[in-house]
Amino acid sequence: MSAPSVEKGIQAIKGQIDAPVASFFSACVHCGLCAEACLFYTETGDPKYTPINKVEPMRRIWEREYTLFGKAKAALGLSKEVDADTFAEWETLVYDGCTLCGRCSLVCPVGNDISGMIRKIREGFAAAGYAPEGLIGASTRAVEIGSPMGVKLPAVQAQIKHLQKNTGLDVPIDAKGAEYLVLLSSMEIMNFPEYLEAIARIMHQAGKSWTIASKAFEATNSGIQIGVSDIAKLLVSRVVDAADELGVKTVISPECGHAFTAIRWDGANLIGRPYGFEVKHILEVLDEFVKKGLIKTEGMEDAKLTYHDPCQIARKGGVVEQPRNLLNRIASNFVEMEDAGEMNWCCGGGGGVSANERADELKLTAFNRKKAQLEALGVDTLVTACANCRLTLEEGLEENNMDIPIVGLTEMLAEYLVEDDKEQA
Amino acid sequence: MMSTISNDKQFRDALNGLNAQQQRLVGALFVENVLGLSNDPRVAQSLVVAKGTDLAEDVVNLARRSIKAACLEAHTRCGADGEWTDQAGYFVARAAEACLEPEGRSQGKGAAWKAAMSARMARTCLAADSDEDAHDTESQAQYQILTSYLDA
Repeated sequence: MSAPSVEKGIQAIKGQIDAPVASFFSACVHCGLCAEACLFYTETGDPKYTPINKVEPMRRIWEREYTLFGKAKAALGLSKEVDADTFAEWETLVYDGCTLCGRCSLVCPVGNDISGMIRKIREGFAAAGYAPEGLIGASTRAVEIGSPMGVKLPAVQAQIKHLQKNTGLDVPIDAKGAEYLVLLSSMEIMNFPEYLEAIARIMHQAGKSWTIASKAFEATNSGIQIGVSDIAKLLVSRVVDAADELGVKTVISPECGHAFTAIRWDGANLIGRPYGFEVKHILEVLDEFVKKGLIKTEGMEDAKLTYHDPCQIARKGGVVEQPRNLLNRIASNFVEMEDAGEMNWCCGGGGGVSANERADELKLTAFNRKKAQLEALGVDTLVTACANCRLTLEEGLEENNMDIPIVGLTEMLAEYLVEDDKEQA
Repeated sequence: MMSTISNDKQFRDALNGLNAQQQRLVGALFVENVLGLSNDPRVAQSLVVAKGTDLAEDVVNLARRSIKAACLEAHTRCGADGEWTDQAGYFVARAAEACLEPEGRSQGKGAAWKAAMSARMARTCLAADSDEDAHDTESQAQYQILTSYLDA
């Protein structure tokens, strides 16, 4: 990429203003409902976190460049220009104070996709050079190494060897013609290796062929988070190329929220052509396996537990029913949080916020919403399906001296599989 | 005298025969074998508690909170540049955390088994950046530790 500049940032924002964006700005009735839907506003009480305000620089450019009224105001010197100070002032609102959770878009009475506009405006901020260091580093590593956390293939191979020796289960790499291509997030590889073990156990019992791709094991997409479509496209292309080369029927997105958005919803548009395979979230696949009788469980967890819906999986991805089907199968005391499912409140760490150290304090403030939800229920266990949510929630619980263990749903389901004699462990 | 443990099936069966206190103690012995991979003093402190008997509940709770915090601090944050040698410390802390996990929270795995797996994972971290394969070495060491404990 060429060196960032304010002018490039402005041009990038202009490039993102299409008919839907123009109609969104025209249609906004300033009702304030988006503010009440945003945990950064509700937990800080600061009006600057009102979602529609986060795209104010884009609105200014739209008005000045594309409306008669705006052009007249500009000619008379009455409009505010977008300059370096604007980028500096709004950078923390755009990156630190938004997880791209999409709750604002869902409540907007005129249907404005505010979250989508914040994703778009990040293109301008990245081009202008006003993006968090953490996301710049993650994006650079994703492009150069293939993982935002610098995970290389030998590390994955070492973990696979560890898993195979402990369980006796096979973890195929580059198996041509396999039905499923399983993607992983670097967070799972580094912090939660039990996810891959759970996949191996489930696939073994389901009798399904699957593989990991040596050229594209990584599911996450830093390009989506920082707002650089060229990077997002490159990262999606790696997965698509690997899936095509291996001839898989289905690509499985892991327990990672934005990875699902990237590969399932944005990917085909980014590369400009339809996929030759299906993309499913792991919870969709597990629900299918259970319904088809391919995997069987025994026993029930009797601890009082609830499920935290990752925003990108539930609200943006539509995977709401499946985790509940699975939990009701293995948990006898599953209770719902208020505003569960598509209206669930974000953990506070999505959309690149948790990769942005500068946002740590704000993230913990935002967690107060989840804290209140959990306190109202008094649960013994919290289940989720996103490694990033999991760690954000753990940090929030730790900060608030709340002792609630957090479990990944895939891992939990695997623990209740009917024992298989073929497994050593 | 117990016959020598030479595979994970025998290893797990033997661990399943231990009560909760014994699980914590043996788990702590597994962690001690990889303690050099962590530089957090809270890990060693937690092992003292894990190996102790008749401890006051608040002492155990304090140690539990301390090792849980150590574990959380040691993880690699989302999007950060991961260092596998540092990550080994995270898995050592997780192994120690397993030893102090309240009963009923180990998802049927048993504290000692969870500690053993995390301890092996700590060794595996060292193989992530090199050709070193310490998995078998750690497994064998754990078989020996358990055999010695059962024979004692």
